[in-house]
Amino acid sequence: MSTIDQVEKKKERKLVLTWAVTFLIVFPLLIILGLFMRLNQGRVVELDYTQFYAFMTMHGLGMAGVLFSIAFAGLWYLISTRITKLNLGVGYFVYVLVLLGFLGLAYGTMIGNFAAGWYMLYPLPFKGASWAVSSTQISSVSLIVMGVAWLVGILHLLYALAKRYGGFFNLLGWQYLRKGEHEKLPALVLVATIALVPGIFAFLVGAVMLIMFLLQSFEPTLSFDPLLLKNMTFFFGHMLVNITLYCGVGWVYGLLPEFTKREWKVDKVVVYSWNATFFFIIFAYLHHLYMDFAQPTSVQYLGQIFSYGSAIPATAVTMFGVIAQVYHSKMKWTIFPLTVLFGMMGWAIGGFAAIVDTTIAFNTGLHNTLWVPAHFHTYMLMGIVLFIFGFLFYLFSGEEGIHQENKLGKVGFWLFVVGAYGFLTMFYLSGINGVPRRFADYQGIEAGQVKEIGAQLARYAAMFIYVVLLGLLVMYWSLFTKLLKRKEASA
Amino acid sequence: MSSITILMTLQNLAGILTLAGATIVVAVVIFVLLSASEEEDKDTAKHKVYAVRTKYFAILTLVLVAGLIISLRLVPYPRAGSVADETVTIVGVQWFWRMGNGEMTTGPVEFVGSNEVTVPSQKNIKFVVTSADVNHGFGIYDSKGSLLTQTQAMPQYKNLLYYKFDNPGEYYVVCMEYCGQTHSYMVGKIHVQ
Ligand code: HEM
Ligand SMILES: [Cu+2]
Repeated sequence: MSTIDQVEKKKERKLVLTWAVTFLIVFPLLIILGLFMRLNQGRVVELDYTQFYAFMTMHGLGMAGVLFSIAFAGLWYLISTRITKLNLGVGYFVYVLVLLGFLGLAYGTMIGNFAAGWYMLYPLPFKGASWAVSSTQISSVSLIVMGVAWLVGILHLLYALAKRYGGFFNLLGWQYLRKGEHEKLPALVLVATIALVPGIFAFLVGAVMLIMFLLQSFEPTLSFDPLLLKNMTFFFGHMLVNITLYCGVGWVYGLLPEFTKREWKVDKVVVYSWNATFFFIIFAYLHHLYMDFAQPTSVQYLGQIFSYGSAIPATAVTMFGVIAQVYHSKMKWTIFPLTVLFGMMGWAIGGFAAIVDTTIAFNTGLHNTLWVPAHFHTYMLMGIVLFIFGFLFYLFSGEEGIHQENKLGKVGFWLFVVGAYGFLTMFYLSGINGVPRRFADYQGIEAGQVKEIGAQLARYAAMFIYVVLLGLLVMYWSLFTKLLKRKEASA
Repeated sequence: MSSITILMTLQNLAGILTLAGATIVVAVVIFVLLSASEEEDKDTAKHKVYAVRTKYFAILTLVLVAGLIISLRLVPYPRAGSVADETVTIVGVQWFWRMGNGEMTTGPVEFVGSNEVTVPSQKNIKFVVTSADVNHGFGIYDSKGSLLTQTQAMPQYKNLLYYKFDNPGEYYVVCMEYCGQTHSYMVGKIHVQ
């Protein structure tokens, strides 16, 4: 069955290692931007406003981009080495374009001071901007370049899979709902498909939106409907972050069975639940517009219903699936399963906080407070990022090495987890105390103690960020010694 | 009783609920961590987990449906037939608030208002909220620093927010949507008499 030879696998490994090393360089730099934001909010350092918001924009867009990149690259690697051959040329094409886009964005924000935020609400980039129009243009073009690259990558991957499994609908597992014989579908493929198809819509809508931005930047008399643009912005933004997480969940389905020695089969329940997830991914974004009272109320209700609904497949199928994998499996908690379990924990806790916030009645008091960054940092930093480090350990240690005890890696892991939850707790407490998000500092707020509480919690958060960075350092040490050892062994 | 209602701001309730949820999640994680050390054949283990899953699924669905039924009654949107005792116009401008009693008779760009406004307590106030330039967020805080309610201030749209202030005193307006450079200083005041 396997037509993927060793040479091909080696080449794919090189590609994914290129992605991985790029990720490992960029990720801590973006965290340091986050550190500076919190230090500024805590009055420890003083950035000027434009600089703060340029940092914020780069941090948000950069993190979203770099996490989706590695999540996608991981899926690409697993699929190209286990399921079906993928075109390496396309793989490198995506890498180079994304890198160029990323550098362009870094230029637009860090040097050009583009500071419209990670979701740039129209018409903000054009009114009262403290940066040059050219920065808006450079940043928009860079984002379009990245989007096009991912779009090409996704289409290639889905095309190859559809060819391998005899049609697109087989990738969705629909053959399981019919009677009769059919080839087994690996769970990895089903999850990858559900994660990536919405990506096509997201990147198309995102590209159209950015082209509208570009048009207006050249022709200032143009004007678009701000509510429409807001819907497009969040459709794109919410989906990008959401599918990043689901890509990571794809690896979990693919790799965890190697540790528990239990096959993770696709069955009807899995198919139904992931097909439902598809719709939740597409419609849940509506919860970002709850405070836009101009949006029809029935649509607001739908937003809450879809958001609530997404909790069912995520917990009852995927999380219970993990439990069924692990329960009484006599598995050792080496670094990989540990990152999976804690990644699931972060997803669940962040998800719970999200369900609270996606309740319209609560959203009235939480929308655009630091509660929002609190919950999404929980399932990004303590969800997908943990899956990513699990995957990197897997990659760097090799298929045998990963089963050995890795004390150093675990020390780094625990430091990282403890630091991150400390940092997140400060976000949650800030949200509860009404501290708004996207504030360069809180000095202007006269109500109650918000000013003092906000600054104090930001200082505490900064201390936890140092622990996060220390944990990363230790994990890097472990990762790179593993990689070098493997290199030596194979040389 | 009154101390309970004071403590039970929306935000505190959200915090308590989430803490409870997180505690349950951590308990499950610890259970799973410990459970892996034993050995059982795959099918028996799976049957046990799936039996729990069925119950979990039923309970979760019930909780979510109940949550929807209860919470969707508490939305902040204007209801058909909402009547206002008084109307206040709110226009967000980079980077300050123009507020004034009564309905706006000009366009938002020409509207003249001030960053302080006075309204009566115990009356249903209709805030007509819009923007003269980019998106802003009209958030109202009480003097203790609790965020009471909010709506977006969006160009070309008028968002209607009905709110009744129970007690007289100072209330604070804070911009809840990032609107550029000095967003964090875009504040105003509501005097409630
Ligand atoms: C230890 C790691 C991290 C630190 C210290 C950090 C810090 C921060 C801070 C301070 C903010 C600004 C919050 C505000 O006042 O509104 C922020 C926003 C944000 N962060 Fe992070 N973050 C981290 C990891 C991540 C990760 C893993 C992601 C992945 C998606 C991420 C994505 C974002 C986004 C999208 C925003 C919103 C930017 C905006 O509002 O335009 N961050 N982060
Ligand atoms: Cu603002």
